[in-house]
Amino acid sequence: MALAVAERVSYTYPGAAAPALRDVSVSLSPGQVTLILGRSGSGKSTLLRAFAGLIPHFHGGLFSGRVEAGGLDTRRHGPAALAGKVATLFQDPEDQVVFTRVLNEVAFGLENVGTPPQEIEARATGALAAVGAEHLADRLVTELSGGELQRICLAATLALEPQLLLLDEPTSQLDPLAAEALVDLAVVLARERGTAVLLSEQRPALPLELCDRVLFLEEGSLVFDGPVADARTWLEERHPAFVSAGSDVGVHPDHQGEVVARLDDVSFGYEDNLLVLDGVGLQLRRGEVVALVGPNGSGKTTLAKLAAGLLEQLSGSVERVGRATYLSQDPGRYVFRERADEEVAVGVGGDLAAAGTALAAVGLAGYEDRHPRDLSSGERERLALAAVLAPEPDLLILDEPTRGVDPERKHELARLLAADSSRATLVVTHDVAFAATVADRIVSLAQDRELAGV
Amino acid sequence: MKPVPAAVLLFALAAAALLAQHTVSVAALAAVLLAVCLRAPGKRRWPYLVGALGSAAALFIVTPFVERLPGVVYWTGPTIPVVGTLDVTSTELSGALFNACRLAAVSLAFAAYALWLDHDRLVQAAGFARRSVLAVALATRLVPALERDAAGLVEALRGRGVEPEGLRGRARLVSPLLAGSLERSLNLAEAMEARGFGRVGGTRMEQPPWGMLDRVAAAGAVLAVVVGALWL
Repeated sequence: MALAVAERVSYTYPGAAAPALRDVSVSLSPGQVTLILGRSGSGKSTLLRAFAGLIPHFHGGLFSGRVEAGGLDTRRHGPAALAGKVATLFQDPEDQVVFTRVLNEVAFGLENVGTPPQEIEARATGALAAVGAEHLADRLVTELSGGELQRICLAATLALEPQLLLLDEPTSQLDPLAAEALVDLAVVLARERGTAVLLSEQRPALPLELCDRVLFLEEGSLVFDGPVADARTWLEERHPAFVSAGSDVGVHPDHQGEVVARLDDVSFGYEDNLLVLDGVGLQLRRGEVVALVGPNGSGKTTLAKLAAGLLEQLSGSVERVGRATYLSQDPGRYVFRERADEEVAVGVGGDLAAAGTALAAVGLAGYEDRHPRDLSSGERERLALAAVLAPEPDLLILDEPTRGVDPERKHELARLLAADSSRATLVVTHDVAFAATVADRIVSLAQDRELAGV
Repeated sequence: MKPVPAAVLLFALAAAALLAQHTVSVAALAAVLLAVCLRAPGKRRWPYLVGALGSAAALFIVTPFVERLPGVVYWTGPTIPVVGTLDVTSTELSGALFNACRLAAVSLAFAAYALWLDHDRLVQAAGFARRSVLAVALATRLVPALERDAAGLVEALRGRGVEPEGLRGRARLVSPLLAGSLERSLNLAEAMEARGFGRVGGTRMEQPPWGMLDRVAAAGAVLAVVVGALWL
């Protein structure tokens, strides 16, 4: 018997010209792990929100059809009533944290659904243990890394012991090991507790190994719904980027170009007695694309900022030739102007022609007069990329440029980066498949801050 | 000390500063609260101290020019339409100092609340008006969140080779900061609703009972208000 059902669901966000979901029908069974795939903006998050009751209750808009989760019809029962039966883990952990202390954060949902007071602490602690974070119980959430915070948010959803677990790109900020642990945990929940898991992902390789069923959305319509073996065949024919393990786009010549940035024996710490980097060296040559990988908290972003000149090293030397630009992890930071072309032109002294060229390069031609905040998350990511490409830098540094970006768009990004040999490019990423696709050289920053070239 | 008696004590000190009639008393209360705030970590305390002491200083400077009270005239300036002749008298100065100390004491009490109290436990301990207490706790976190956002926006500009310098450069940050905080608040509201916030029949994690220090603080709070009203 189905645990959750969506019947002929169509939905349009307030003010949107086109529907985000079109006549979607899905049923989810207990103990089943279902993976939703699709390009950015195809309606994956919207479908998850429909099962959580957030659509239409929180977002408004035009809704038709029927969604039932845990025996409750979402037209009559809002998200608060569904909480407990349904739990949602959103993409960005920083936007879902209510409390400042970890244990209280995990206990928040339990308190809301009326768990007996004497049980709350034990269940919250148990959920933290399930994600391997019991040692963080008394820590402040502001002290945690993005990966740790995502585990805390997962613990907060697990503590509710939901019948339906909705995971919206939960591994986007996690390193491969942490991502694997999270997906494994979701599978264990499904197998052992009978939880129905609905997972949306943009790094599909691992979930495709472990899930039972795949849904594929295109422009709000469900175009594939079937078991994972059939899904692989279907994806290989229609959307190969979703199943290829990183097809190489680089030429990989033996790069002997000019050294654009050289970091020698560099050390850095945000606090006096705790070094994030200790005696690290890195060299970047014109024409090469270097991927910097490593676990959460290993200092990748710090090293990238040092290379870009955004941080000053405590010791060692950093030398750069020409101009460096740095793409922040958060595309929401590229919103200073009210038009996309003006935003991109900020870094080129207001040169709108250069901005237009950069927008076209990232596939945003025709978006010049759009407000940056009106763009979808994937479009914002591309706008931010255009903003750092427009100055035609000698050193381009991209910090997690594939967060929330679908596999097909990642492939386009890889081609774009590989096509220009006039600069050195450093890509900080957790996305191993993307690193393999784009990089001439992969540099691994281990937890002990030593660099290993691959 | 638990957060509820600590919050009550800080509220009482702020109330005492508002009730007291002598500048020296109010200044002493402000000094005590300043000492409490100065014990907080430097990085966290500066926005609160700049806000509290800056607004008190601004009040002290502006008040003599907009008040018209008798006394020894120290300075006479031009006549401004509506406001009249600008002057600074001894009475205006002492009144300005008194009000500046009051504002400083109240602001520093809030700063101490924001810097030192465990807002989570305050919300957990709230036996009534829990939603309001949570709203205050979330609003309190706005200052450090805005600070982080501003640093991120500056970094995004510097990453494009643009240094936001001077007042005009910093003013560029205001609009994205405001819009960003609105966007975040919407995302947070969505996440809270998905986690059952607002549902009838909520419970609270068990809280440890009050100790001797907590009881002393609560009694001290009552005493501070009474003394402030009657003798300070």
